[in-house]
Amino acid sequence: MLKTIKPKGWVVALYLLVPVALFVFTVFMPLITAFVYSFFEWKGGPNKTFIGLDNYLTLIQDKTFWESFWHNIYLVAACIIGQVGIAFVLVLMINSKLVKFKGIHRTFGFFPSTIAAVCIGLIWNMIYHYQYGIINWFLKLIGKPELCKVWLNEPNLVMLLVSIPLIWQYIGYYMVIIMSAIASIDTEIFESAEIDGANGFQRAIYIVLPLIKNTMIVCLTLCIAGNMKAFDNIYVMTAGGPGTSSMVMAMYGYQISFNQSNMGYGSCISVGIFVLSLLVIGGSQRMLNQFTKEKD
Amino acid sequence: MKKKVISILLSTAMIASALGGCGSSPETPAADTAVPAETPAAPAETTAAPADDTASSSDSSSLAYTGELEIMHYSTSEESQGNGGSDGFRTVLADWDAAHPDITLTQNILANAEYKTQIATLAAADDLPDVFLLQGMNTIEWAKQGLVYDLTDTIKASPYYSDYNTAYFTPFTTEDKIYGFPCLTGGTCTVVLYDKQMWKDAGYDAFPTTWADVEAASEYFNGQGITTVAFGNGGKWQANSCFMSTLGNRYTGPEWFSGLIAKSGASFEDAEFVASLAETQRLFTETKIFNPDYNAVTNEDAREYYIAGTAAAFIGGNWDESYIAATLQESDPDKWANIGFAVLPQPADATKAPNSQNIGLGYAVAINSKVADDPDKLAAAIDLAEYITGPAFSSFVAEKYALGGLTKVSDVDLSGFDQITQDFYNWSYIDTETCEIYDSYINSAVWDVFNTDLQDLMNGDKTPEEVAANAQAAYEANY
Repeated sequence: MLKTIKPKGWVVALYLLVPVALFVFTVFMPLITAFVYSFFEWKGGPNKTFIGLDNYLTLIQDKTFWESFWHNIYLVAACIIGQVGIAFVLVLMINSKLVKFKGIHRTFGFFPSTIAAVCIGLIWNMIYHYQYGIINWFLKLIGKPELCKVWLNEPNLVMLLVSIPLIWQYIGYYMVIIMSAIASIDTEIFESAEIDGANGFQRAIYIVLPLIKNTMIVCLTLCIAGNMKAFDNIYVMTAGGPGTSSMVMAMYGYQISFNQSNMGYGSCISVGIFVLSLLVIGGSQRMLNQFTKEKD
Repeated sequence: MKKKVISILLSTAMIASALGGCGSSPETPAADTAVPAETPAAPAETTAAPADDTASSSDSSSLAYTGELEIMHYSTSEESQGNGGSDGFRTVLADWDAAHPDITLTQNILANAEYKTQIATLAAADDLPDVFLLQGMNTIEWAKQGLVYDLTDTIKASPYYSDYNTAYFTPFTTEDKIYGFPCLTGGTCTVVLYDKQMWKDAGYDAFPTTWADVEAASEYFNGQGITTVAFGNGGKWQANSCFMSTLGNRYTGPEWFSGLIAKSGASFEDAEFVASLAETQRLFTETKIFNPDYNAVTNEDAREYYIAGTAAAFIGGNWDESYIAATLQESDPDKWANIGFAVLPQPADATKAPNSQNIGLGYAVAINSKVADDPDKLAAAIDLAEYITGPAFSSFVAEKYALGGLTKVSDVDLSGFDQITQDFYNWSYIDTETCEIYDSYINSAVWDVFNTDLQDLMNGDKTPEEVAANAQAAYEANY
């Protein structure tokens, strides 16, 4: 019976052809062409000069690029703790028997993920605004006007401040993923744990976390990959400023390619982002696997 | 194991998507490096305007070409409201279109920021539209690459040549060849708008001519909880276009910048220019003249401080002036009537051109060199370029907005305009000296480095010497 329903191989291939062709055209082609262009001096226009590895040598010594890379790593760290960590805690809270209106919490938690990143950036721009922002308004209200700052113009704080909207935006997204993983855990396990006297914290660490380990690894991978390519929120909020204090790799590549019309070096930066992101993700996967194996 | 493979595949795909995004997407908004024009975030609109031979009011000369002619520009319908240059551009373009029913004029209209990204991408792909707007700082590179048609002979043979304000051609000229008809309106990039009444209350009959006096006035205004001068450099280009370009000239004089353009020995590290950077840093970090968030807000935000009355003056370009005047005329006629115009005050240690402001035309109508393959099409493109920058445009903007274009309009009758428009016209074209807009020249790679560093300089995080050295290094590497 199953065999008769199952479509033939060529039918499956035909169905897949269009999306695969689109994917190859929009993702792999730019990847390959960027790699090729990265060996050229190409300042826009038809003329390109082959310069071998010169762009890569420049990239290795480019302080702004490495500064941007560390900003991405900072974002990754902040978002792993902020997005995945807080999402996990919130899911446990929502799943607790004490919480009412679970559906509302879920909906409102997920809501920010549905807003465009550019709008999120604009909303938080208003929150941080020096004259009209809610933070400075609150500081004045509680009689601490001396603490008011031009928040997005503080080189030492700006990375933290641009991370907060990103964290806020994606908590709900990870909440949904983690919630569905927890829903698949057999409730008997929790009941027997409760009978054994395990408290909420112990249940979270010793039961929930090990049982949703694979989902957490996917969440972490998504979080790392997402933050290595961060661009839009930060672009709207600070455009990488003040100076290069909140510059991230994708924005630097964009700036070089389009503001400075240096397509060759911009392509080289793109390849750099790809390689570094692979290394970071590969490295973190290795660490996670090592860590979970030891636990097992 | 299977999950591991899936997660690795997933992450590879995500990074690849990111890379695809960085490599070639023309749709992300561009950062402004230089904008001598209003830049509202308007959606792209593409119109294939239908030919209409009943409304013909422009040149009716018969062109042999029939078929499609493509033009890309940034005078969106949103921008044309309140912006004389855009309104004029759209009007003369429509007139030309109506007068040439055999030619289908296809317009690709983007907001300014998007336009700059798109045109750079198309130039990189050697796929420029037939007719487009060339930014001054791209002229040398694009001419070198053979992307733009050499219009030198055409311009010199133009029936309007004797009326052209030839100084406007300079940013679009390289090696004695001219690559475009300067377009839109010649407006200032650095004007101080001030509220005459507020300054009168502070004890000043007019805006001070020295920074020392502005600093003294700031004590009074700060006491009132009012910002003395509002300025926004959140987009990074404003400090260059609307401040340094004029302030630098007060220290170096025009010869220095001419030398920089001609590569005849002038350097960003020259003592006079470094002194102008030091003064900029002092004004922003050591005095309390400006709004504290000058590096976090854009010019669009900063001008709202002036409109709301929380700032007594504002520094911006002609596009800000037209917005402020139009807004106040409607919402607060008394405050509108109190608008005064002034040049940037003179620093104590500067010795040159105290009455100068930077003015010019930042863009020119240029033609893709490939159009020359079809002589008839080239003739049509030239006719279009000549018309939309010619007397029809200048007369329109002079009569309706009291603004100037490429062609001189003699005896502009200002009597029909309100006082503020008349004042701004006189201030822009008669009462002040002019100097160059830095980022109409040289190239974007240099200005992008300089603009980024300027933000640090204004925060006190980089020294004037460091900023000058970085700009000089970018200049030597890219120009």
